[in-house]
Amino acid sequence: MKASSVTLPPGLQAATETLAQQLLQAEPIARYHRAKDALEKDAQARSLLERLSAAQANLRVRQARGSITQDEIRSLRGLQDQVQSNPVIMDYALAQQEALAYLPQVNQTISELLGVDFAALAGPASC
Amino acid sequence: MTELVQEEVKLAPDAAVLQAARNFAETLADTPQFKAYEAAAERRSRDAAAQQAMAAYRSKQSSLQAMLMLNAVSGRDRDELEHLRQELLSNPSVAAHLQAQEDLTVLCRAAADLLSERIGLSFTAACGPGCC
Repeated sequence: MKASSVTLPPGLQAATETLAQQLLQAEPIARYHRAKDALEKDAQARSLLERLSAAQANLRVRQARGSITQDEIRSLRGLQDQVQSNPVIMDYALAQQEALAYLPQVNQTISELLGVDFAALAGPASC
Repeated sequence: MTELVQEEVKLAPDAAVLQAARNFAETLADTPQFKAYEAAAERRSRDAAAQQAMAAYRSKQSSLQAMLMLNAVSGRDRDELEHLRQELLSNPSVAAHLQAQEDLTVLCRAAADLLSERIGLSFTAACGPGCC
């Protein structure tokens, strides 16, 4: 996530940093980072995810050409099963899910005070 | 306490996070950009011509919604919709509100980017459309 080039006023910068510090200490966010660190240190789990990602990308290309074989589908499902059986990967996935479910509650507190949806205002431009 | 309620309690922001969130919101509300946005929104809501132009545009847009989604709007209707849009945008209080909103968006985006960088997660992506 690239930081904006816009300079925040000092008060807002400080308030943002304080909020970030508190969020990092909150259990769902802290747990997410612990799970992410564990995944980054687990070469086998990382390799499995890379193989799954490559297989999915390959299958998408072949699907567009109408040339997928049953063996390729079976192979992909095998990788998916391995991912779902890997405790480090599943712990990371669950931790990420919980962290992402936590943040909207924080946005709600901010937005209720402002009278406008902060995340919607700050999000990417809609199409 | 049921397991589900226990889980919800565990995932709810604690007092320190809520206080930091409130402080963040209050500080943002105190910025010139936010105050200008509120003032512009107030002016626009009191501007009868702006309200009329907005109602006309929304009414036309609503009547064409199905055709717009199918990309099957007639040239005449498209021209009329564009004309109503330009009328709306040419209203001074509407234009001022849009500019104030853009200025506030730039500030909010910068704050959200900093927050996301620090916590290692995209705050705005987590709070997708309609999360509040």
